[in-house]
Amino acid sequence: MNAFMPLVGVTLRGLLGRRRLALMLLLVALPVALAVLVRIGGGGRNDASGILDTLVIRTVLPLVALVLGTAALGSEIDDGTIVHLLVKPIARRWIIFASAVVAAGLTALLCVPSVILTGLLTSGLGSASVTTTFAFAVAVLVGGTAYTVVFMALSTVTSRALVIGLVYTLIWEGVIAGLLEGTRFLSIRQATLGLAAALGGKRPGSEPLDPVISVAILVVATVGALLIATRQLARFEVRGGD
Amino acid sequence: MTEPIAPAWASAPAPPSDAPPAVVPALQLDHVSRWYGNVVAVNDVSFALGAGVTGLLGPNGAGKSTLLHLMAGLLRPSAGSVLVRGRAAWRDPAIYRDIGLVPEKEAVHPYLSGYEFALLNARLQGVPDPEGAARRAIEIVDLVDASHRPTGTYSKGMRQRAKIAGALVHEPTVLLLDEPFNGMDPRQRLHMMDLLRSMAAAGRTILFSSHILEEVERLADSILVVHAGRLAAAGDYRSIRRLMTDRPHTFRVRSSDDRRLAAALIADPAVFGAELLDGRLAVSTSDYAAFTHALPRLAAGAGITLHEVAPTNDSLESVFSYLVRR
Repeated sequence: MNAFMPLVGVTLRGLLGRRRLALMLLLVALPVALAVLVRIGGGGRNDASGILDTLVIRTVLPLVALVLGTAALGSEIDDGTIVHLLVKPIARRWIIFASAVVAAGLTALLCVPSVILTGLLTSGLGSASVTTTFAFAVAVLVGGTAYTVVFMALSTVTSRALVIGLVYTLIWEGVIAGLLEGTRFLSIRQATLGLAAALGGKRPGSEPLDPVISVAILVVATVGALLIATRQLARFEVRGGD
Repeated sequence: MTEPIAPAWASAPAPPSDAPPAVVPALQLDHVSRWYGNVVAVNDVSFALGAGVTGLLGPNGAGKSTLLHLMAGLLRPSAGSVLVRGRAAWRDPAIYRDIGLVPEKEAVHPYLSGYEFALLNARLQGVPDPEGAARRAIEIVDLVDASHRPTGTYSKGMRQRAKIAGALVHEPTVLLLDEPFNGMDPRQRLHMMDLLRSMAAAGRTILFSSHILEEVERLADSILVVHAGRLAAAGDYRSIRRLMTDRPHTFRVRSSDDRRLAAALIADPAVFGAELLDGRLAVSTSDYAAFTHALPRLAAGAGITLHEVAPTNDSLESVFSYLVRR
């Protein structure tokens, strides 16, 4: 597909704005900085799952995915530059696919190294530490993709994707999914933690989702979001004008 | 400043490769309406366009952008059909091989330079030599000097030209431009008009919207007048212009003796109404030229001094309203 690489290029240029990039780097550096402090303070621990669960999967990952996912297409829809991409002889699914690849790729590129550095700095290079870190890295890769694509799809449905995404992350996943057992099936965070646990990154005392269910949730969320976004863009109509 | 470059299509006819038979109009709207809830933006509009420059004239809010977006496949018609070279415009990306669109909104990716923006368009259009096509388009719109600066630093007129470059890279047979001269200085405006004329002469279909009569007058061979979502008039520019001039006019007149002047005027065949309202004389005429000649003559003959003569319905809005009511 000849148009795919130009679409990837323009989405990447759009997402790598100086301020946004600095904010994202600051976010993913947070757990690493904390791990360094733990290390310097002599508080190295055997299990990094706590810090990876709380700081990365519950906080940094959804925020990075939210900012990048909603900006990948949402900012072009908001400022009207999307029109220049739409009036081209290319299937609109390629625009969605390129945006998803770039946003999810950047989320992974920012969050996975953060997981690895945080995990290894916190609990050293022992085999248990490496297994836990690897488990969380893979879970963040898959869960981050699901988060990003879902937030990107949300931006094709509403211009308030950022706010709705924040409410989903903070209220639904942060509060409701913890209080009501049944709602965990509608939580990307719970599925990501379930996948991490299945790969050897179980946090002591936690009750993660079944691995098969976790993978199913992440796959359904990602594929479903891609289909919704493609359908939305195929039926996209410009706003405003006279 | 660089000299305007003659575009490839200035001498070459429109590409015949996949051209449909000559009977198929480049653009065809058949009883097209578009509404948003209870608001009707475009109301039962039908027309067909072939090669040449057509001006889409109407006041702000008349439905010009909605019509252009319908033709560009960016809006679904609520009723009727919109065809581009015989193909439905809505949900058919293949039409964009034939169409170039210059939207009214200024937005251009601010982090891309003018050249990069044209190159992006060329690549997405799949033209064989995207770099060459982008360079040519930048030269055509006279943006060479600023072509490597981010468009975020451009003036309104420069962004407008960058958008036109992006719309021209694939040498479309149909070019839709929404208020293309906004923000351009007079020299750029003339240059752009020359370019559009040369494209039309090479067999392209150019449709541009404007709310400024003079712009349309200078460029368009034919015009479509829209008002309140309806097609008020369509056809040759001169005949529409005549309709506009020959419509009933009303003048407010203040003189040394309004009552006697009214009596003198009503006897003139160019005048079909004269009334005194709130101490002012309002005169209606169906012949603008004859009335403006007759008024000073009649006033002088009756020994009346004219203090003020002012048209009351000369706004474009009232002209468009008249054309719709006709």
